Amino acid sequence: MIITREPEFLPETPNVFARLGRAVLLSCRESGRALLMTGEAFLHMRTMFSTRSRFDVMYQLYITGVKSLGVITVVALFTGMILALQTGLELRRFSQQVNIGTAVCVSLTREMGPFMTALIVAASVGSAIAAQLGTMTVSEEVSALEIMSISPIRFLVMPRLVALLVMMPLLTVYTDIIGIIGGAIVGKTQLGVSFRAYFDNAVAFAHNKDLYVGLFKAMVFGVVITAVSCHQGFCTKDGAVGVGLATRKTVIVSFLTILVLGYIITRVFYK
Amino acid sequence: MIRFEHVSKQFGSKKVLDDLSFEIEKGETFVIIGRSGMGKSVTIKHMVRLLSPDKGRIWIGDDLVSEARGKELSRIRLRFGLLFQGSALLQWLTAGDNVGLPLRQGSNMPQEDVDRLAEEKLKLVDLSDVFHKHPSDLSGGMQKRVGLARAIITDPEIILYDEPTSGLDPMTSRTIDALIESLRVKLGVTSVVVTHDLHSALSIGTRIALLEKGKMVEISTPQEFIRSKHPAVRDFLDANFITKKPDWETHPS
Ligand SMILES: Nc1ncnc2c1ncn2[C@@H]1O[C@H](COP(=O)(O)OP(=O)(O)OP(=O)(O)O)[C@@H](O)[C@H]1O
Ligand SMILES: [Mg+2]
Repeated sequence: MIITREPEFLPETPNVFARLGRAVLLSCRESGRALLMTGEAFLHMRTMFSTRSRFDVMYQLYITGVKSLGVITVVALFTGMILALQTGLELRRFSQQVNIGTAVCVSLTREMGPFMTALIVAASVGSAIAAQLGTMTVSEEVSALEIMSISPIRFLVMPRLVALLVMMPLLTVYTDIIGIIGGAIVGKTQLGVSFRAYFDNAVAFAHNKDLYVGLFKAMVFGVVITAVSCHQGFCTKDGAVGVGLATRKTVIVSFLTILVLGYIITRVFYK
Repeated sequence: MIRFEHVSKQFGSKKVLDDLSFEIEKGETFVIIGRSGMGKSVTIKHMVRLLSPDKGRIWIGDDLVSEARGKELSRIRLRFGLLFQGSALLQWLTAGDNVGLPLRQGSNMPQEDVDRLAEEKLKLVDLSDVFHKHPSDLSGGMQKRVGLARAIITDPEIILYDEPTSGLDPMTSRTIDALIESLRVKLGVTSVVVTHDLHSALSIGTRIALLEKGKMVEISTPQEFIRSKHPAVRDFLDANFITKKPDWETHPS
């Protein structure tokens, strides 16, 4: 697949409907290209252990996984605390506050864990990918790679895809654990639920299925973030302004896609 | 070797190449000069299909590059080395790794051999002690020369240079000229050089072409070029004080 594309010049139209129609057609085309690119990156994954790719893959794993850990810890802790407090206060009216264990555990593993992790990774890692690839595109570095017959998809996209596919589930598990601990702290200090009662309750009613669905979501979100950020990066034009725009669009489009897909996946698995 | 057949290219309403036809022979150093914004870089990009023509065809030997895609295009592109006007070095790699990149990613050569070759090519462009520096630590002229070293590391049969000597001091420019000339004489490389430096054009060019309003208005050897009667050529030569002495020489105050 050729990444460097010719500049396009579409005629101006004053007609609102024509403009709307064009916007729809263009976004369909862009999504298609992003999907094709991601598909090709999946095919290139068979070379991920070769000497020429190994280092890049390792480096991306490190950047994606380790660098986001700090902010994810804080967000996860407070997500768990808010969940516990919110549901706990309601449950206390029926003297059922011991059930916050289940409430926090299920909603974190199934929904909030992957969702919060994906939002943070999209905002930090995704926007960084878009900015880097965007800068490379406008300074013709991507064209230079293509001229040297080095596939930008293998060289740039594949390591990032691997990193996000591996790290998203790991980070999600981490978010789940920290969040559940946050819930326990709130339960103990504010709702009078002992740690023992909290964890017993969590283990008794949570299903493995919740965890698996959550991890599946995390992987899907990882693919979404890679596809959106790399595609936006490669489509960058007009210098520094364009790089800013690509970053912005990456965050917006990945947030929306994550939100919608998150709903759809839950819907499919829980009738 | 490189043949343009009635190539036209338009960006929006701006016509850049207009029914352009010319042919570059094997082993030639073909110099393209012309004013800024006349489409010299666009012409070069057509040769490697970073741009494709609206009309017309471009042949590289027996390969129709203007319609090639996929594997075919990769194969054609491997015949080329290209020095971009803006160097286009990867910022997170050192100069040495940048030069070695085509070999490291495109062949199974061991790392030591790649490094040795990269070091060798850096010497050729008059750079030493930059192997472990990042592009952001180099001056514009040095980055340009690293880009040049990268373009020649695979020993391609055709090398395209987009302003190889712009931003370089005159002495280094002559080194680069000598390098281009020696690649032609020793290895029979076909070169296309875009330049604003008329001195290097006249000294290295086997033929010089002047691009003006989307056409090659003059294609001739350096000897014929400086005697050409074409007004655009005269303007170009006058502006470089080739045919006319500068005011400070004719009217010393
Ligand atoms: N990607 C593009 N999109 C729109 N217009 C372009 C594009 N690339 C080139 N052009 C237009 O084509 C014309 C020729 O550009 P080109 O870069 O080839 O000039 P040049 O002869 O190399 O000039 P210089 O000597 O300054 O490098 C310019 O007027 C430019 O506006
Ligand atoms: Mg140019």
